[in-house]
Amino acid sequence: MNTYSKTITAAVTAFTLLLSSCSDILDTKPYQQLPAAGAITDATSANAALLGAYSNVQNYYSLNYPTLGFLPADNVRFNGTLNQFLQTDQNALTPDNVIITGTWTTIYQAINSANTIIDVVPGLTDPVLTEAEKNKITGEAYFIRALGYFDLGRGWGGVPLVLKPTKTISDAQGIRRSSLPQTYDQVLADLTKAEELLPEAATRNRAVKKTAQALRARLHLYREQWAEAETFASTVIGNSSYALITPYKAFFTAPFLTNESVFELTFSNADPNTIWNNWYPSALGGQYNFQPTTDFIGVLNAKGGNRSSLLASVTTGSTTSIYGNLYNRSGLRDDPAYILRIAELYLIRAEARAQQDKLDGTDGALADLNAVRQRAGLANSTAVTKAEVLLAIEDERRLEFAFEAHRWFDLVRTKRAGDVLGVTDTRKWLFPIPLVDMGADPDLAGEQNPGY
Amino acid sequence: MKRILLFFGLLALSLYGYAQTSAVVRGRLTSAEDGTPLPGVNVLVKGTSTGTSTDAEGNYSIAVPEKATLLFSFIGYLTQEVALSNDQTVANISLENDAKELQEIVIVGYGEQSRKTLTGSQTSVSFDELKSTPAPSPDQLIQGKAAGVQVTANSGVPGGGIFIRVRGTNSINASNDPLYIVDGVFINNNNLVRTGLGNQVASNPLADINPSDIESLEILKDANATAIYGSRGANGVVLIKTKRGKANSRSRINFNTYQGWSWAPKKFKVVTGPELATLQNERFINDGGSPELVPFRSKASGGSGLPEEQPTYDRIGDVFRTARTRSYELSASGGNDKTQYYIGGGYFNQESIVKPSEFDRYSLRINLDQHLNDQVKIGTSTALTRTHRNVSSNDNNPVGVINSALFPKSNLPVFNENGTYAKYGSFDNHLALIDNLNNDATGTRVISNVFGEYAITENLTFRTSWSIDFNDMYENNYNNTLILAGQPKGTATSALSRDITLLNEQTLTYLKTWDKLSLQVIAGNTIQKNTYQVTSLNGQQFPTNSLETIASAATQTGTSTKAESALLSYFGKASATWNQRYTLDASFRADASSRFGVSNRWGYFPAVGAAWRLGEESFIKDLGIFDELKLRASVGKTGNQAGISEYASIGLWQGGNNYTDSPGTAPLQLANPNLSWEETRQWNVGLDLGFFHDRLTFDINYYDKYTSGLLLNVPVPLKSGYSSLLQNYGAVSNKGFELTVTGDIIRNSDFQWTSSFNISTNKNKIEKLAAPFTTGSRDIFRLQEGIPLYSFWIYKQLYVDPQTGDAVYDDKGNDGITVADRQIVGNAWPDFYGGFTNTFRYKAFDVNAFFYFEKGAQIMNMNRFFLVHGGTQSNIGYIPEQLERWQKPGDVTDIPRMTTVASSNNYGGTVQNLSSRYLEDGSFIRLRTVSLGYNVPKALLSKYRVASLRLYVQGTNLWTGTGYSGLDPEVNSQSGVSNTKNFDWATVPQPRTVQVGLNIGL
Repeated sequence: MNTYSKTITAAVTAFTLLLSSCSDILDTKPYQQLPAAGAITDATSANAALLGAYSNVQNYYSLNYPTLGFLPADNVRFNGTLNQFLQTDQNALTPDNVIITGTWTTIYQAINSANTIIDVVPGLTDPVLTEAEKNKITGEAYFIRALGYFDLGRGWGGVPLVLKPTKTISDAQGIRRSSLPQTYDQVLADLTKAEELLPEAATRNRAVKKTAQALRARLHLYREQWAEAETFASTVIGNSSYALITPYKAFFTAPFLTNESVFELTFSNADPNTIWNNWYPSALGGQYNFQPTTDFIGVLNAKGGNRSSLLASVTTGSTTSIYGNLYNRSGLRDDPAYILRIAELYLIRAEARAQQDKLDGTDGALADLNAVRQRAGLANSTAVTKAEVLLAIEDERRLEFAFEAHRWFDLVRTKRAGDVLGVTDTRKWLFPIPLVDMGADPDLAGEQNPGY
Repeated sequence: MKRILLFFGLLALSLYGYAQTSAVVRGRLTSAEDGTPLPGVNVLVKGTSTGTSTDAEGNYSIAVPEKATLLFSFIGYLTQEVALSNDQTVANISLENDAKELQEIVIVGYGEQSRKTLTGSQTSVSFDELKSTPAPSPDQLIQGKAAGVQVTANSGVPGGGIFIRVRGTNSINASNDPLYIVDGVFINNNNLVRTGLGNQVASNPLADINPSDIESLEILKDANATAIYGSRGANGVVLIKTKRGKANSRSRINFNTYQGWSWAPKKFKVVTGPELATLQNERFINDGGSPELVPFRSKASGGSGLPEEQPTYDRIGDVFRTARTRSYELSASGGNDKTQYYIGGGYFNQESIVKPSEFDRYSLRINLDQHLNDQVKIGTSTALTRTHRNVSSNDNNPVGVINSALFPKSNLPVFNENGTYAKYGSFDNHLALIDNLNNDATGTRVISNVFGEYAITENLTFRTSWSIDFNDMYENNYNNTLILAGQPKGTATSALSRDITLLNEQTLTYLKTWDKLSLQVIAGNTIQKNTYQVTSLNGQQFPTNSLETIASAATQTGTSTKAESALLSYFGKASATWNQRYTLDASFRADASSRFGVSNRWGYFPAVGAAWRLGEESFIKDLGIFDELKLRASVGKTGNQAGISEYASIGLWQGGNNYTDSPGTAPLQLANPNLSWEETRQWNVGLDLGFFHDRLTFDINYYDKYTSGLLLNVPVPLKSGYSSLLQNYGAVSNKGFELTVTGDIIRNSDFQWTSSFNISTNKNKIEKLAAPFTTGSRDIFRLQEGIPLYSFWIYKQLYVDPQTGDAVYDDKGNDGITVADRQIVGNAWPDFYGGFTNTFRYKAFDVNAFFYFEKGAQIMNMNRFFLVHGGTQSNIGYIPEQLERWQKPGDVTDIPRMTTVASSNNYGGTVQNLSSRYLEDGSFIRLRTVSLGYNVPKALLSKYRVASLRLYVQGTNLWTGTGYSGLDPEVNSQSGVSNTKNFDWATVPQPRTVQVGLNIGL
């Protein structure tokens, strides 16, 4: 019996020793993530967070947001199988549409990144982080937030304005929808702040002072604040870093970042933009989901001048497919997302001036309109009256920004979506709030856009 | 390699090195009970491997050394040792029945137990009859064999994933797969194939286990049986025991092979070119087009030719083939009183009936047991497997093989005029895929366990066990420029995924039987660590299609990931039986998981069970009706944490959110420091009945499970910048009834008939959920309180208006069709399911037929969804069902008129074609296997030194009775998407197979 108890003791001791040495096995640490609290602590991590915020903007501008800008309108038809695109094309969006959900989600992700930077970076005490650098980082974050709320506002109308980073879920609770003017006021406040903080420079894929001013010109245009729109457009046009370049297709030809560009998002093969795949026909390896409409092809060829380079064609056997060629980097997958171009500033100013009845002369609407037409290799506009000039600008914008995030928003902004597109139910001029969010967010109760 | 050779050399020496012949002994073996001769009894010279077995008349003869002792062993009889006297040449022996062995012993968690005293609910599956079914993995073979276990093949792709649920689905976000334990090793069941195949789970890690190596398989179902596995047991536990050598048995060599031929019982059908053109023209006119300008009008008037002039191109025929299955296995087993061994090797190859997928497996198993002395035993169970899959996408993937053959319009040619592959819309060319797909996934698996057992006293045993499950998947994909995935200049991926689980386990077992009381007490601990790593490289832009390695690519990018998790557990169990009548079990387990925050790591999982063998009480015994009457009841709690992210409780930012090729970080998830275990409470009551000397038995169970604190990604307000937060929120219940009836109906010397039938029900219900949410392609599945999981959320079509030809949907509130009218229409749960097996033996022949059935599950037929589109899909053709569309007032049909107009909601618009007209009843009964075998009589074999020879022919899925219109009602196309089931979408159907096989034992 003695050996017996000794053996037991030995076994139990071995057992216990083994156990006590292994509880730290439970303290596993993530290899490729950072604890949220330690995400922004110094200059390097602040810059990384800012790049991450841009990456979030890429997420909604590579495909979803441009799609919502052109597909509901008349330049492009959907030629694929996915219903979420078909609904967008047919102006029959439902709140469960995944493009709608995806866009809304990713914009708010970009805003949350920006909110975190705005909240944390000014208070950092890293000696290598100069005040100028802090201002630049914070200014870019303000710009990203402004762009996010602007893009939400023009799509959905007024939205909940979250201005603090979400650390726990309660941080975002209790914020109801704002009105559209309140939303645009917030955009203005952020752009003003961004203008103040951002440096003068001609960086085209990051926000600088002129980027903020260019977006501000567009904001005033959307708010029909014509004089301010004109002023801010002029500020950007007056800067020698930006110019209408010829030929038209130069801005979407590598290496990109041309003088045409005020703000574009850069992609690369390691960080790809694969929107080309939706435009290219299968003979070129694409899916041909976005097909230029016959009507658009006719108008562009007749009235677009050298902007017909937006289209290309490929023939296999006896079938010729005409396809959109704005996004053409199928090999290197580095097509930029074009957000603000100098041509837009010209056309913003033209519209703002026309609305102020300034039609002719060197500071008249037609001068700006014709600048854009000349670049396209076209004769001056024959429009005379204010109404004619405004219509000419609308037509010009249709061709100039054919496959960018403009046509639908323009026609809604000018309340012409009914006349031009036949979308007479004005409730469909705003996108629905995602169904999943209507369920998850008690603050949205009863606040769905009408008609959905 | 040298060491391995040496090892085998030694092994061979130890087994064959002894015998020094000096005399021959003969004799006859009979049963002590009735004196009948016993054929097939093992006769072995003790301490050697020299042995033989008795012939049909029970006679044997064996050469023996001097002073030998003979061992006679036979299943169901007590082994007898006979020390031969000098010059003895005859030894006639009669063997006694082994009462203990006649009692069925089953494997339970961390031990063995007599079935008679079990309090929990568990099912044993015998593998002898199953091993020749042409399925690569053992889990597929238990379909229909165990009540309460639902097994459905996701598709007919060999080596692909399968759907298995023990007593329903407990969890929404964490894993629902049972825990598999092979010889004490907790098996990783994560699919490692990363190549996207259209949301189908590409591989089933259990296909790494050769079913032929399996001796027995136990499925533990109720809380009392599984709670000893605590956090791992909530979804049931499958205990697999592989074959081991038996002490004092002569060496046996077995060779098995089978050859199979498979084909698709049913193939897709599409409309002809003229039919398609007619439909297109009708669509054009219905949408307000001028009849003179229909697209299919004469070429002279600028059209594409008249409908009747349209050609028809068959694509479907190109993708199916008669597929081969081949299996070869060789094994050797045996042992003396010190050393026992089992060595098995196998090769299995199965082609998919849809080109070009294929699966093959090389497997090797070595199980060794060595008694160092009377107290210490060491051993190992080691399996090495090499698998190879040629994978191809299907299901939800426009560039899948089936999709590319099924969806394009049938009037469009397969090749362009210049001979190149023609592609339409987002679909690839099916022949281009078949000829060029090059997705290779090679798996390497080592499942190994070494153990030591120390019998401290006669009753107390200490065991320590060290295991590794090493699972490696090496994938090399090259997409050349002839297929869409390779656009524009070729793309390639090379990825290595490695999933390693290390497990250490100690147990102390106390077993003691007094006069009437038997007691079993177990205490132990486990430490488990899992590491998952992936390194992958991508290449784009290749100089030519002949250079396939990433080194040749112009652009090369790479990434790697790593994550770790750990579990620490302590457990104990006690089981006491009084007088073989009353059994009381109790178990307790404490688990700590690294996935949870420090303060919420530990989960505690108790269970108790009781059984009363009423049949042993004299007042029942005296009735003379029951051979067994046992009541069982158990209740307990189990936990779950598998399937959630390794770092789920921490607030995280993630790298890789880069911009301008500079590194960026962005928020990934919110912290939830309160995150803890998902828990399942289960009670079970059962009744075991035996009649007519246990020739008719019933096993009846009712269970009630309630899983609470679900690890759920609860949707949060999107304005927070997050879409969900993992919380312990929500509850799911499962309740069900299980019945198994087994009959040993006819038993005489020439003819035997055994039969087994089982049927199960399960009622699943989401009891609590923060907010409804949707999942699956087109959000077809919706989870909300009060309904079961896998419920379809679509528009309910009432009828097609015979006057207008427009579909009429259930319009709540009569305010026009809006998303508010989208509703739950049916679910993918069967009302009941089960299996029915009959085996007949006549002399040397045997016949087995096995049916599997499921009743009442709905299937969303996405092939109809896409191919009955009314003209809304410009690049997709039609199936013949579209021809049944409404054409003129008065037509009564379910298929609305052709139109693309959104406001009609016929095919597009708000309804988006998500109409209940594509939801079908998927009930079926299937003759899963039927076989005819012939065991060549021993008398014929003995002169060739062959111990056994069996020839058989078997058919699989030869007949299916179903009203389902698709290819196969056993389908789950979106198995890779959680909380979805029963999508049918361009999926490979279950093959119909005929095979012939041969088993030889030496």
